[in-house]
Amino acid sequence: MKLADFVVPGAILPNITSTDRNGVIRDLVTALADAGELATEDVEVIAKAAIQRENQGSTGFGKGVAVPHVKHAKIPRIMAAIGRSAAGVDFAALDRSPVYTVVMLLSPPDQPEAHLQAMERIFSHLQRDQFRRFLRQAETVEAVLDLIREADEAPAG
Amino acid sequence: MPLRRGIGVSSGVVIGDALVLETEESRVPRRIVPRDQIDHEVSLADRAFESARKEVADEREQFAARAGNELADIFGFHERWLGDVKPRKEIASLIRSKHYSSAYAISVFMRKYRRRFQEMGSPFLQERAKDIQDIERRLLHHVGGETRMELASLREPVIIVAHDLTPSELVALEKTKRLLGFATDAGGTTSHTAIIAAGLGIPAVVGLENITSHVSSGDTLVIDGLHGVVVVNPDESQRSTYAAEAKHLEEVRDTLAELTELAAETRDGVRINLLGNIEFPLEIDDCINRGAEGIGLFRTEFLFLEADPLPGEEDQYRAYCDAVTAVGDRPLVIRTMDLGGDKCHRGGGWEVEKNPFLGLRSIRYSLQNLSMFRSQLRAILRASVNGDVRVMFPLISRIMELRQAKFVLSLVMEELEEEGFEFKSDIPVGVMVETPAAAICARELARETDFMSIGTNDLIQYTLAVDRTNERVAQLYSPADPSILRLIRRVVKDADRSTTSISLCGEMAGDPLFAILLVGMGLRTLSMAAGNIPRTKKIIRSISLADAIRVRKRVMSFETEREVLNYLRDETRKVWDEI
Amino acid sequence: MHDNSNSVRVEVTISNRQGLHARPVMRFVDIAMKYECEIRVHKNDLTVDGKSPMEMMLLEAVQGTVLALEAIGDGGAEALNELAELIDGKFGED
Repeated sequence: MKLADFVVPGAILPNITSTDRNGVIRDLVTALADAGELATEDVEVIAKAAIQRENQGSTGFGKGVAVPHVKHAKIPRIMAAIGRSAAGVDFAALDRSPVYTVVMLLSPPDQPEAHLQAMERIFSHLQRDQFRRFLRQAETVEAVLDLIREADEAPAG
Repeated sequence: MPLRRGIGVSSGVVIGDALVLETEESRVPRRIVPRDQIDHEVSLADRAFESARKEVADEREQFAARAGNELADIFGFHERWLGDVKPRKEIASLIRSKHYSSAYAISVFMRKYRRRFQEMGSPFLQERAKDIQDIERRLLHHVGGETRMELASLREPVIIVAHDLTPSELVALEKTKRLLGFATDAGGTTSHTAIIAAGLGIPAVVGLENITSHVSSGDTLVIDGLHGVVVVNPDESQRSTYAAEAKHLEEVRDTLAELTELAAETRDGVRINLLGNIEFPLEIDDCINRGAEGIGLFRTEFLFLEADPLPGEEDQYRAYCDAVTAVGDRPLVIRTMDLGGDKCHRGGGWEVEKNPFLGLRSIRYSLQNLSMFRSQLRAILRASVNGDVRVMFPLISRIMELRQAKFVLSLVMEELEEEGFEFKSDIPVGVMVETPAAAICARELARETDFMSIGTNDLIQYTLAVDRTNERVAQLYSPADPSILRLIRRVVKDADRSTTSISLCGEMAGDPLFAILLVGMGLRTLSMAAGNIPRTKKIIRSISLADAIRVRKRVMSFETEREVLNYLRDETRKVWDEI
Repeated sequence: MHDNSNSVRVEVTISNRQGLHARPVMRFVDIAMKYECEIRVHKNDLTVDGKSPMEMMLLEAVQGTVLALEAIGDGGAEALNELAELIDGKFGED
């Protein structure tokens, strides 16, 4: 599974302005709706579910990255949005540092295996220092897409 | 009388009658049936063809939908082959003329057929060998688990002689309670069959190279597992010598058995935890009976190795629950599947690797086959509510792998929670330290784990760069090498400085020669094959911690494996002269 | 070498790149089975039953191999026509 299989190019926000966690999550879900991947009337319920999931345990696994995710019946396919905050957002991360890069994955409830595969892909790429650093520095949608392309071509791991 | 040397893998002596299993890879024993059973055998063979053909037809339909025409064509060919009357006729005539059992007749026919291809030698025809093998495997499978039935229906106590035995064949034989011992052409001390034999305490000599061509069924054999010797048709004096030896060993075993209820504690009161290593849940009772205080290593890959189809989440869940039930409230460390290397399941999808031990194996395989990994973790987690279950990841070579594995574990937990399954959310997570990389970075691994277990078998092979299954270099493989001892010492120290607990599993833990040294190195938990527990306990109960530390200091000053071994032998003899 | 007056014979050359591997054998046998007549395939001294996939596999027929097809019994000529067509058409491969 490649990142490009589920990252929605229209839902890459290189300059997110919301300054709080819930705001960032809402922005990303809205971006997916604007890109035509979700119905506009479902944005609120999906964002709420993602926030609720985040409240149960932070997905900020450290080093300035968070991977909020949620499964919901209103989500038609596996999709991801990427947000970058220059100022940093408090995600109650494990290492308590602010989060600069948010990769958010939305999955339909009936594809747990694909959800897990996509999450694992996101996680293992974000574990690589270089990918993480470049993503944090990417100021345009094109720059982010380039990084994703490169990551998909690189050998697994 | 002829004396044959191989590798002793389980220290016992036994005298008995040989039963030679066919040396072909199908391992179908030659069996002659009574005249009145011939019609029955012919119809068994016919039915095997028919049900194999139906199975292929079903698979073809599935594949046509999933994988396109090419694979469907291959199955289509198999289907027609199995529908062909010619092979059926030839097999029937073998049964009628030679009174072979259906399984044996099939294997004889297929062997002859295969040989014709081998003789052709054209490379494009070699491809066919695979097809033919596949067809044969199917037929033998459908001839009604009969190959296994035959193994399971031993009537008299025997010594099995075979080219090789698979772990599951060994377990099936053991279950008959009529297996005295075995001798094989193939194998080494760390082959999995050898490990299980040692665990079950079955006298065995492996790596004999050509024992199958020197023994006939009905010969009398002596198996001396301690010295790695097989005597074929012993004379009177050999017979009485070995009989005396067997009797003596039995007495030692009885003495050791008296220790079962006692703690593994040094003379000055240092408790050592002795745990068992298992491949199948059915081995747990044996471990407990011999004094194990839990299971320190459940090698789950054995659930996959010979399973066809592969076990799914529910099958595994049942196996893990069986294990939990057998182990009671004692700890049960479940190691996730250590597949690849020399352990490839039959599910296929294995690519030929130039160097499989450095290839896609173990945790690497799991992380690239997430759907299998996921179902295993789900099954382990679900079984975890019933006891003291812990999960351990094998062959970690970098911290990233540990983090990835833990991340997948956390996702699986999330999933189970969403589905309303119960599980132990604080299940202890550990790693095997079995690559030099992990040993060197043990301090970092310790920070992110609840426990670590040193896996000496792989650690030795990777550190010394010796393929433990290659008989030509196997003698270079030694736990006593100073490099290994230093690595172990280092890992134990790093673990002691952290909150992570440390144990050692692998053959070295159960080798009586190393018991004093390992205690001296600071290890307090050793996990080993059930058969090794009593004597290890005996040694531990005979020493003091001060003795052990003195031995360790001396050993760490040696430069060669030889010095280490000689010294340890002397020291061990002082407390236990049965070594 | 055979005195059966009912017998017809034709020579063919295997021309597909991969030769007589599993799929071509399957196609061949499927056609042969449609006919009542006996089908034999000769290659040098080796003769196999054209309706038996097991035996057909034993023909070491790579690209360029010349085979003699023989049909004995009803519909023989028609059978050989169809089989020769299959082989000349490279089994629909290449």
